Amino acid sequence: MKTKTILLPAAGLAFLAAFSVACGKDHGSPASSAAPPKWTIGVSQCNLGEPWRVQMNQDIRSAAEGHPEIKVIYKDSQNDSLRQRSQIEEYASAGVDLIIVSPKEAAPLTAPIAAAYRQGIPVIVLDRRVLGTEYTCFIGADNVRIGKAAGHWALRKLGGSGKIVELEGLMTSTPGQDRHAGFREGIEGSGLEIVFEADMKWLEPDARREMESALSRFPRIDLVYAHNDPGAHGAFLAAQAAGREKDILFVGIDGLPHEGQVYVKRGILAASFEYPTGGREAVETALKILSGEAVPREITLSSRVYTPENVEAGGEWLRDN
Amino acid sequence: MNLGISPKSRVSRLFRSPSFRALAALALVIAIGCVFNAEGTFFRWHTHRDMLRHISVFGILACGMTLVIITSGIDLAVGSVLGLSAVLFSLFSLQLGWPAWLAVPTCLTAGAACGLTSGGLIARFKIQPFIATLAMMVFARGLAKWVSGGRKISTAVQLADGSFEYREAPGVFRILGSKLFGGNIAVVTLIFLACALVCYVLLARLRLGRQLFAIGGNEEAARLSGVPVSAAKLLAYGLCGLLSAAAGICHAVQEQQGDPEAGAGYELTAIAIVVIGGTSMLGGKGGMGLTLNGAMAIGYLEKILSLNAVGEATRLMLTGLIIVGAVLFQKHRK
Repeated sequence: MKTKTILLPAAGLAFLAAFSVACGKDHGSPASSAAPPKWTIGVSQCNLGEPWRVQMNQDIRSAAEGHPEIKVIYKDSQNDSLRQRSQIEEYASAGVDLIIVSPKEAAPLTAPIAAAYRQGIPVIVLDRRVLGTEYTCFIGADNVRIGKAAGHWALRKLGGSGKIVELEGLMTSTPGQDRHAGFREGIEGSGLEIVFEADMKWLEPDARREMESALSRFPRIDLVYAHNDPGAHGAFLAAQAAGREKDILFVGIDGLPHEGQVYVKRGILAASFEYPTGGREAVETALKILSGEAVPREITLSSRVYTPENVEAGGEWLRDN
Repeated sequence: MNLGISPKSRVSRLFRSPSFRALAALALVIAIGCVFNAEGTFFRWHTHRDMLRHISVFGILACGMTLVIITSGIDLAVGSVLGLSAVLFSLFSLQLGWPAWLAVPTCLTAGAACGLTSGGLIARFKIQPFIATLAMMVFARGLAKWVSGGRKISTAVQLADGSFEYREAPGVFRILGSKLFGGNIAVVTLIFLACALVCYVLLARLRLGRQLFAIGGNEEAARLSGVPVSAAKLLAYGLCGLLSAAAGICHAVQEQQGDPEAGAGYELTAIAIVVIGGTSMLGGKGGMGLTLNGAMAIGYLEKILSLNAVGEATRLMLTGLIIVGAVLFQKHRK
């Protein structure tokens, strides 16, 4: 009993201390010895469990660094639409000057975003759409276009015929569906044949397992098209274990600096197609809105392809074709 | 199951033995594989080798899970501890350049510490295992993300100016990630088998094993007959944490990186392996042989579905049905 009476308040104190340290770290404004920031921007990120979204916040952070006039607050919804909804409501009632939101899903988040917008707070929607038009600006990339570019690239690289394994991202998600549809469109009517396709749910261990199955079944595979770079990396490891990695080209999507681009530089992937986060563009657009400039309602980000030849030079922009 | 033979006959006893039932479930899955053999791919050795490699990480988790479930407990934190250990191991050996003799024990110690903490909460403060390990599951995942900064830890090391430098993966990564005996068996599979052997000896031959069974059978009776219940539970959870950390190292060497999200949901597969094997969730009954069987059954099931490129929706439904089928089949035994 005695230990408990001491332990409880002690635990409480420890928790409070840890909490205040953690909060101090999270909301620490960019060290500004000069004038206090003029504007506050609230960022609501739907899930920081994905490296790509960590990168998006990173891009926002580094773009905001050079602008002492703005202060950026970050919140992570941990893949929960309702939590994200309350974050947007919190930003609206706190009266931030602008909201940048990368929504988890369209339907549950349309209403709170529209409410903030009607209240006079500009809202920039990043990467995933909401329903209707009650927001200031949408910034995102086009997965179908990227998938199609990957298809065209495969066509050129393989010279019109070959056997392909497609490792799909979660096929109940729109990026998975779009990257699939775009690629199919890109290779349509050619001699390229998809001999094996499997849903690896964006996960590297699953991609490796599926690729092992493909390798056991097919003595000849010319190219692996994975819907993300970790998937392509997993496929490479499976092929390497079977001693067949030299016969196969591996293509992935996302092109993150510490992931896809690294795999290309190390000769693991033959190509990685960038799926831009739009973090930098969001901050640039936010600054325009805050200083009263007009911005387009929709900004489609262009993306780059990284190959061993161009990766050191920063990749090559995709042309529409 | 009544076969119309007198209950004392040998055949009947054989049919009722848990090991036989577990083997029968495995045989059923293998039979399915023989039918749906994907143009004969199922009959090639490398299919089986790859299955064993893939199931090894889950199998190591299931070894620890077996110890805990036998005490009628549960450890939900195994997947998160795996992730934490994968991140720590990659950080130490890929980025900080620690030698293997330092990195491996440090990771194992970290895993054991997580397990001991859960065990302490359960044994000393009488928190239910489900809740204590749920808390550890969330905490360890958070720790993994904090240590890694939310990014995968790989051989690409970011320099101060933002550019990347590539380091060669150290020897321990190559050795643990390779295959032995003419490429016929993965090193991680051997690690899994070694873990299984150690747990088998512990459960079947050592005093601690008997104590764990006694606690699972009836904790109060065990206490009254002089079993050091708290110490034994603490050890069971500590070993489970240690094995999870070992699984984390195996995961990292196979992926050549430490992913802070690694192992999410793996605790459910580990529990499924133990249960399909035939170890009772109520505790007091089961064993490592059964878990080994369960691991093979789950491994073959996933392999067969993958070889035949079965769609995700069908896969999930089939897995659910087969788990229920296997458990129902075992329920008939006394």
